Amino acid sequence: MRILLAEDDPLLGDGLRAGLRQLGFLVDWVRDGDAAERELRAQPYAAAVLDLGLPLKDGMEVLAAIRREGITLPVLVLTARDALPDRIRGLDVGADDYVIKPVDLNELAARLRALVRRSHGQPQECLTAQDVVVDPAARTVTRGGIPVALSAREFDLLHALLLNAGRVLSREQLEQHLYSWGQEVESNAIEVHVHHLRRKLGNALIQTVRGVGYVLAGDVPRP
Amino acid sequence: MRLPRSLQGRLLVMVIGLVAGVWLVTSALTWLDVRHELDELLDSHLAQAASLLVVRQSGEIEDDSHGIDAPTLHRYAPKVAFQVFHEGRLAVRSSNAPAEPMLAFTGRVEDGFQTVTMSGATWRVFATHGGEQDVQVFVGEQAESRNAILWAVLRSALAPMLFALPLLALAAWWAVRRGVAPLKALGRALARREPQALQAVEVDGAPSEMTPMINALNSLFQRISELMASERRFTADAAHELRTPIAAIRTQAQVALAAIGNAERSHALQATLQGCDRATRLVEQLLVLSRLESGPAPALARVDLDAVVRQVVADLAPQALAKHQTIEVVATGPYPVQAHAMLLAVLVRNLVDNAIRYSPSDAQVRVGISSTNGGVRLSVEDSGPGMSEDDRKRLGERFFRVVGSGQSGSGLGWSIAQRIARAHKATLCVARSNSLGGLSVEVSLRTGLESPAGTPSGKSKGGQT
Repeated sequence: MRILLAEDDPLLGDGLRAGLRQLGFLVDWVRDGDAAERELRAQPYAAAVLDLGLPLKDGMEVLAAIRREGITLPVLVLTARDALPDRIRGLDVGADDYVIKPVDLNELAARLRALVRRSHGQPQECLTAQDVVVDPAARTVTRGGIPVALSAREFDLLHALLLNAGRVLSREQLEQHLYSWGQEVESNAIEVHVHHLRRKLGNALIQTVRGVGYVLAGDVPRP
Repeated sequence: MRLPRSLQGRLLVMVIGLVAGVWLVTSALTWLDVRHELDELLDSHLAQAASLLVVRQSGEIEDDSHGIDAPTLHRYAPKVAFQVFHEGRLAVRSSNAPAEPMLAFTGRVEDGFQTVTMSGATWRVFATHGGEQDVQVFVGEQAESRNAILWAVLRSALAPMLFALPLLALAAWWAVRRGVAPLKALGRALARREPQALQAVEVDGAPSEMTPMINALNSLFQRISELMASERRFTADAAHELRTPIAAIRTQAQVALAAIGNAERSHALQATLQGCDRATRLVEQLLVLSRLESGPAPALARVDLDAVVRQVVADLAPQALAKHQTIEVVATGPYPVQAHAMLLAVLVRNLVDNAIRYSPSDAQVRVGISSTNGGVRLSVEDSGPGMSEDDRKRLGERFFRVVGSGQSGSGLGWSIAQRIARAHKATLCVARSNSLGGLSVEVSLRTGLESPAGTPSGKSKGGQT
């Protein structure tokens, strides 16, 4: 899951990026409000962690601006401002969650997963397609009850397809879901990952739409 | 006499007292005036009557009616009496006059008035005589009758006042009560206030005399509420500033716990330590600031600025060297100044630390001390990016940080530097450095006094008071 982290404090930003990476997130880190707004417009992040006291542009302004443009990704506001009016205003402007510093990394990750899940109309903790069950929190996959070992990229690819069930995702879109900044993307990486997934989970799970991209096969619970 | 404590009571007592006083003085003056006029009028009547009697007696010498009583013609007549003596014998007298002469005389009398007592009453007597001293005339009048007239006049003048006085008191009480009503309203409004309520007081119909007081009160409320707002803001800001390093420490510690490789763990642990250092520095700065703001003025003594600067630069030089910066001290000390040694060190440290922190690698930092006219000037210059005009204006706002500096300072250093400078009555001046191109901060300190207990040294450039 690729998320944007907007935090101006060097130590905290560094820690959050490292911690969320340990928990399986792909993290892009920006340090000011302008950069945050620019990246949120340009990239299809699964979610964003937004500090409010950002230089150049306040986090609240960034949030209001992207909501005005119809960008609906889940935004978790992470801030030291704990006054009730601040929290209410944050939620009213368009935050999906409001967390006061300091925060436990596991809790932050769980909240992010829940936000992403709900934003895709998926209330259950686990995602299911045919006989394949994906647990995003534990990052485990089972097929017919038997655990299947996937690489991190394979898991992220499957997760993205499950979250967007019924929608065709292009190769570029999948790449954006799978790689954060500075990570080298080989030209046929997505094809290779899909090939591996089909081998491990069966050919029927992922369908190719020639010239467009990939889509999860039917028999998927729809909201 | 002690005045009552209440303003209303005071005004009432003063108004009634003044009215009664004026009234008494007026009465006394009237009494004196009426008595004088009355005396003159009645005395002239006595004299006139006496001269008539003299003339009549001189013309009727041959008359035989010695000792005959004149008839009583008026109800006041008993209050008036006369005697006419001719050649030593009583010729005529009024019915109420005694047979003896009113004034004892031997042969001759002097013209004039006298007051005598006859048969238990006080009489005013006028004596005169004929041209040959053969006729003596005495005309008397009871003094009591004069007093009766005097009292009658005063009574008629003063009686209405006696009735008016209670009415006047009542009216004055009402008027005073109305007059002080806005004061009482103000008192009630203030008494009803919650301790936190600091909005302006408004009193309906307040007289112009109360306006300065109400304005002063309101401006006091305004200042207090600004002070309280700034304290609240400070507490909130301080909490905010502490939360971030604590969040960083917690996050980095968690990262270290979950790290797989040694390099990752070591990086996270280093960052944890940095976070602790930052939180510690922040707490120290907050404590210094709170002591400066709430504590008494620091006691100043003679301190050698040169030694303080060298110590601070020695402490901070490793930081500068780590960034490949050059740092130098330009001074030919010693420079005694009036200062608090610890606070002066904090001030110098903050300035030098800022210069190192906000200047890029390979920059130059220069700390200079020089004597000025009656003072000592400390300057900290760097070849860093300097500051924009707007940023310079906002310097010293607590927690203000220049955007994009990429540094993890709290922005408290400047507030502290300013407070310390103020406590030393020193000026802090921020400008562009002419020689290095970056920021230049100058502090003008007062020269140190020769310590009275210390050993007098040869360098006596001090002595400023």
